[in-house]
Amino acid sequence: MSASNPATLPIHPPHKAFSPARILAIGANTLLELVRLKVFYFLLIFGLVLIGSSIFMINFSFQEQFQMLKDISLGAMSIFTWLLAVLATAMLLPKDIEDRTLYTILAKPVPRFEYLIGKLLGVLALVLISTLVMAGLFAVVLYARQEIVIAESLAQAGREATPEQVQEIVRGIKASTFTWSLVPAIIAVYLKAALCASLTLLISTFASSWIFTIVTSVAVYFIGNIQSIARDYWLAENGGTALTKVFLALVSLLFPDLQLFNLVDDIVAGNAIATGIFLKTAGLGCVYVVVYLFLAYFVFAKKEL
Amino acid sequence: MSTPAISIRNLTKVFPIPFKRERVTAVHDLSLTVEPGQVYGLLGPNGSGKSTTMKIVLGLVPASAGTTEIFGRDSSLVESREEVGFLPENPYFYKYLTGEETLRFFGKLCGLSGPKLRDRARDLLKLVGLENAADRRIGGYSKGMLQRIGLAQALIQEPRLLVLDEPTAGVDPAGSREIKDLILEFKSRGITILLCSHLLGQVQEICDRVGILHKGRLVREGKLHDLISVENQTQLILENASPELLARIEAEINCSGARLLEKAKPQTTLERYFLEVTQS
Repeated sequence: MSASNPATLPIHPPHKAFSPARILAIGANTLLELVRLKVFYFLLIFGLVLIGSSIFMINFSFQEQFQMLKDISLGAMSIFTWLLAVLATAMLLPKDIEDRTLYTILAKPVPRFEYLIGKLLGVLALVLISTLVMAGLFAVVLYARQEIVIAESLAQAGREATPEQVQEIVRGIKASTFTWSLVPAIIAVYLKAALCASLTLLISTFASSWIFTIVTSVAVYFIGNIQSIARDYWLAENGGTALTKVFLALVSLLFPDLQLFNLVDDIVAGNAIATGIFLKTAGLGCVYVVVYLFLAYFVFAKKEL
Repeated sequence: MSTPAISIRNLTKVFPIPFKRERVTAVHDLSLTVEPGQVYGLLGPNGSGKSTTMKIVLGLVPASAGTTEIFGRDSSLVESREEVGFLPENPYFYKYLTGEETLRFFGKLCGLSGPKLRDRARDLLKLVGLENAADRRIGGYSKGMLQRIGLAQALIQEPRLLVLDEPTAGVDPAGSREIKDLILEFKSRGITILLCSHLLGQVQEICDRVGILHKGRLVREGKLHDLISVENQTQLILENASPELLARIEAEINCSGARLLEKAKPQTTLERYFLEVTQS
């Protein structure tokens, strides 16, 4: 160890008010923590759900099979990514406070906003990896089912089928499996989970325990999912008075309308998702993530540790 | 005159009690200065305000009134922590990281990277005697090893000030001695140390200056030697003195008007005896 001689230059570079390297260090460490906690094991459950569901649908027509497979897979992806985002985020801050690792980190030249951004980035990276793995598993199962259906259909058509008829059969089946609209649906699933992670981080900055954080986050999730239905019902019953509109605007501000991120129904129904609607949804998701992160910093900056 | 390592002026911290109108004053109008290179012992019973003072110095808790500075910089500013290393009481680091990964993580937070960080981490592991446990996960470390890796992370950016909260709490005598020796080593390198400890014997061995907090107020402060010396008494320790010599000295004392208060054989400390027995 070199001595702390004031005449020699310090080994650390001058402090920067904002350092992506520090954020990256905290983010990478958070991801490593979650990976070493073996949270990826839940992907096995997702795989089993996919394989199990594909086995039980062999008695349906191929269009129905693909619809059901997409419905189940995207629905499961949505639930699994949400669960992962909420559970992983809820424990981060309370655990660091309880173990006093937060003291050791913040006693270094680390601004509190960098700590929060790093923690959130770690969770978002974990959710991204999980989403990609689930999407990959989904693609493999869908491809396998497609090949089985093609083989069965060609066998049914028999040897009398002309090459044109064979091509038509194959084209018809392929058109029902992989469609470009799956991509925005998967991105929307990820953005919804990211939004929920950011919201959970905000709750954990003032919550007294991680159980409270999880319960509140789950409650907000359900309110967020039913609020559009409740809003339509409320407006139909009470009319559009100014007071009602203000109340509904407040609810919308506090609780995100998570139904906006549910593009699965359109995909399953075979509808294409308009680029404008997708971009609006994606932008809204990003805005919510940033707003919740900002609010989390606002609370955390004043927190007495 | 050099800039003080720590300067606390008229510091007061009041905590509101949730759902009540009452308030608790944890620290009341505290002023003290720690000079560079000094080992300062902040003493006091539980609830005396030691930890709160330390947290304010580290910028973890805002002060209600007064100012705290580290090497002339307001300690509530993040950049003031470039010069500080902190070891909390009973530290828990990320259990899934190895010793070396832990040091690298904290080094990155201080802006270190590349070969400089790698070399620094290895040097510190060697310094605290953990080079053989560098690749073991922290979850498997003993209490003493945890304290030592804690000291290493506190030193990672080569700070000029170390803040140590009960650095030997829960550590066995041998481990405690090792940590104490490390602190003395840091002192010899010119690092300023603010030490909070209940182990007064250890504080006495290490510290140059102490402050005693009681109910949030600084009740005594000064050089350790000045505070605990009994001014009107003198201690002589003789080796191989014959009974005749001792008799002559006693007679001389009686003739002089001074009073012999105690005549006894010096004893070794229990700590030293324990270490001799267990390390032989």
